[in-house]
Amino acid sequence: MQPTSETAHRLRARTFTCMGTVTSLAVPTDAHKAPQAAADELEAATAVVERLFTELDSIFSLYRPDSEASRLVRGELTLPEASAEMRARYEEAAEWRLLTEGAFTPERPDGALDLSGIVKGHAIREAGMSLLALGMANWCLNAGGDVLVSGSPNPDTDVPWRAGIVDPADRRTLLAGFPLGGAALGSAPPDGMVADGGTRAALATSGSAERGDHIWSVAAGAAEFRQVSVAAADVVTADVLATAIVAGGVPMLNRATAMWDIEALAVSANGELLATGGFRR
Amino acid sequence: MRIRAAVSAALASAGILLVGWQSGVHVADTRSAVAAAAAGNQASGTGTTGTSGAASSESAASSGTTGSSGTAGASGAAGAAAKAGGTYDGDVVQTRFGTVQVQITVKAGEITDVTALKLTDAEGRSAQISNYAAPVLRDEVLQAQSADVQTVGGATVTSDAYLTSLQAALDAANL
Repeated sequence: MQPTSETAHRLRARTFTCMGTVTSLAVPTDAHKAPQAAADELEAATAVVERLFTELDSIFSLYRPDSEASRLVRGELTLPEASAEMRARYEEAAEWRLLTEGAFTPERPDGALDLSGIVKGHAIREAGMSLLALGMANWCLNAGGDVLVSGSPNPDTDVPWRAGIVDPADRRTLLAGFPLGGAALGSAPPDGMVADGGTRAALATSGSAERGDHIWSVAAGAAEFRQVSVAAADVVTADVLATAIVAGGVPMLNRATAMWDIEALAVSANGELLATGGFRR
Repeated sequence: MRIRAAVSAALASAGILLVGWQSGVHVADTRSAVAAAAAGNQASGTGTTGTSGAASSESAASSGTTGSSGTAGASGAAGAAAKAGGTYDGDVVQTRFGTVQVQITVKAGEITDVTALKLTDAEGRSAQISNYAAPVLRDEVLQAQSADVQTVGGATVTSDAYLTSLQAALDAANL
């Protein structure tokens, strides 16, 4: 961990509720901007992100009877007739199912289409692109425990954002930390919280601790992992692979770390940890 | 869709080849003078072994290892032209996975065994040849205190559970 003295820049955060969870956008206070201008910028940026999440939720939510996803599940609509957005996400999810050999799947065991495993990651990815398009270089977006960052909490430095990962056995405590963003890819990692694999912008965590109902174990029986965190360059890869590893157990964990440039931290059902080098001290 | 998958697969293959090729280049850099002096056909044969091994490997990690054995082959060939049998130590080579040194056993001009002599990195830990997730103790992972992080990751927090979460406390502190 970095010494706390390096977090001299105070953060400002805004939150909103969507997709059954809370999303927060945090930015460092900018000494070069008038406080009111900075606050307005954060308000506007949060509004952009919230609108994006809300639009996607109105299409994909299975909790809304009037959503396109619900109509698909009820058979009132078929995929070829669905919107371009729906078909694009289905295509992306189907590609991930191939790549993960079925550990990640866009279908529930009963065969009903369920894209909730990819929609939140997609929403975070789109939100990140919107924030960059708004000219914002330093921010941390956390949607229900999945994180995407840009830049640094200390503008004009290489200091990474510091993310904690909750202990599934006690949500009030942190199990581990991980540096996100900061130094550009390829440059030397900063002192302190050094990740062997260089810097990553995204950290996603899946598990059965909070809302495991959208993860289906490939093999019948209890899930091997209680919680899996994956750090990657992009948030959809991190999110999908974390979900796939929870569903596919150790074989999928080994497959994921061999095939993708990721770091992973898995908590087994009995509390033991498996970690790649980037998660180790 | 298929095209994208095919392109990704092609890129992945290219990446694996590239790692093998880079290992080869590294060998060429360090051994070029000696290799040039060594018997030409033997040296090039060894090089080919290293490259094809890397190409057929399933992951970049194992191709890195294969590339290292190529190193030993090259030095073995350079040292004794590898006509007779015997064991040969490769040079100590820095790879992206740490410091690596291997030993080969040659019989009748063919490599029959490859042994790792040194597989440690700068910090004295066991080298990570692959990005394999290994069992670790809790105090062996990167530590974090809630007062010292800017964001908290966890399995999807419902909006109800958020109210009592560490992330909520952080957000409240930054409002």
